[in-house]
Amino acid sequence: MSRFSRLLLLAAACVLSALPIAARSLQRGGAAPAPAANAGGTTARAVSAATAFLATLSDAERAKAAFPFDSPQKTNWSNLPTGIYQRNSLRLGDLAPAKRNAAMAVVAAVLSANGYRKVNDIMNGDEVLRTGGGGQGGGRGGGRGGGRGGPAFGLDEYYIAILGTPSPAAPWMVQFGGHHLAINVTIVGASNVMTPSLPAAQPASYTLNGQSIRPLGAENDKGFALINALNAGQQAKAILPSRVADLVLGAGQDGKTIQPEGILASELTPAQQTMLFDLAHEWVGILNDEGANAKMAELKGNLSRTYFAWSGPTTNGSVAYFRIQGPTVVIEYAPQGNVDHIHTIYRDPTNDYGAGLVKR
Amino acid sequence: MRARLLTLTMALALAGVSREVSLEAHRLDEYLQATRLMVSLDRVTLEMDLTPGVAVAPAIVKTIDTNGDGVLSEAEADAYATQVVTSLVMKLDGEPVQPRLDGRQMPGLNALHEGTGVIRLRASAALPRTRTGDHHLFLRNTHRSDIAAYLANALVPDDDRIGITGQRRDAVQQELTIDYRVSGLHTWPTSLAFPIGALAALGLAALALAHAKNSRATNQ
Repeated sequence: MSRFSRLLLLAAACVLSALPIAARSLQRGGAAPAPAANAGGTTARAVSAATAFLATLSDAERAKAAFPFDSPQKTNWSNLPTGIYQRNSLRLGDLAPAKRNAAMAVVAAVLSANGYRKVNDIMNGDEVLRTGGGGQGGGRGGGRGGGRGGPAFGLDEYYIAILGTPSPAAPWMVQFGGHHLAINVTIVGASNVMTPSLPAAQPASYTLNGQSIRPLGAENDKGFALINALNAGQQAKAILPSRVADLVLGAGQDGKTIQPEGILASELTPAQQTMLFDLAHEWVGILNDEGANAKMAELKGNLSRTYFAWSGPTTNGSVAYFRIQGPTVVIEYAPQGNVDHIHTIYRDPTNDYGAGLVKR
Repeated sequence: MRARLLTLTMALALAGVSREVSLEAHRLDEYLQATRLMVSLDRVTLEMDLTPGVAVAPAIVKTIDTNGDGVLSEAEADAYATQVVTSLVMKLDGEPVQPRLDGRQMPGLNALHEGTGVIRLRASAALPRTRTGDHHLFLRNTHRSDIAAYLANALVPDDDRIGITGQRRDAVQQELTIDYRVSGLHTWPTSLAFPIGALAALGLAALALAHAKNSRATNQ
């Protein structure tokens, strides 16, 4: 074979070998793939916890908790309470204590310790909301809100679903949520993601057993710390001149990508970038460490295409909205007209419900 | 302002104690109107999510339920949706553009009265075939501006030839101008990249083999 022929064959081989990389890059907007941090210890724990939970259930209970992986139940979540929004999965309040503990063990298995604490803080906040003068439409006094016309609040009003069969290899999902909470963790082999998820809080601060609790206090404080760490020129880029009254990509807005705004992370100093990623980690780090570490590496890899935007006053304690948006992340923080009622959303336009993981 | 407060107070009183938590938990006296726009070369599509707060919901329901029978008929829902879309003022490069209703979803009366029902509209407008260069799409939502809380955002265009270069809004997002640039550069759709690349590789390989065969024949 002549030298020219060998060169042509070499060129063909190069083109072929580069194609899968190019295709993956195009699909993910050029983002680095999120690797599994180690060989799926979380997956093993999650499979074990979910399998044990399902085994505790009666047939009727299992019918409410178990769904096919591609079931429409996947997108059946909301920030709204029972009675206004029907979740169609298994309600904690309908479970005996041992089964309820098994359900919460599944949630604990897929989240970090800090994430699990945050989930419990949000749920306890809803219990405070119920006992603090409401919930008459449902809850303790009137039973359930669902089907009785009124909203229901409190610890009983959270729901769990397992989509797909808990597996170390095949895709499956843990869905947990209720009022002001939606956690969607998709597991594919050793990898897992927690998008989309909606952690919210009302009240935003309360006292429980003598302890002051702020479920989303770190998100608030780190957001204000970051905007105040920017100089005037940076703030001029970051602060939007208009009011942002609510989440733009909240519940029901799957599959949408809004045009990013604000200041580019690459225009921040290294110290400010650290603050930005620390802020993002408040959402990313709800997930177990394996999934969260992979996600943080991905976010840092997209530094030059990640934006931080702010709307509202910059004095902590004010009603202010902020957003972090990059190729593989959207985080929004949106007070609902006052600082005691916060909605947030965490999405990955390339990997909501693990769509990117399943494709790989 | 006083009238608005009075309306809110009356609505709260009518809602009664059993709604206490619901009222605390959700937007009260505002009509959230969130609009997202997707620009393409010859069209703009709009998604609108309209959520009347519990205190203003009775007024919105009254507007929709024109015959006052307590039922939101299909015809009434269509008429209201059309009314909202026609209240939009839109211009491309200063020239008026009129969006038309493509579809709508109306929630149940209970959800509307709870302040959680979302009226979802889809609309679109044909755009004059845009040329390469900079363009400005202006939107002003005039629907119920007395009680509105607006959100207005551009979605990232599906077409790589269109790049959003800026979004300008007024203080309350009633107005949004999307600045965008149409580039004449031809880009292949992602879905074609793989087959075209594979064909190129096969072609190169065939060429190499043919060349090798010819070389052997010449040498013999």
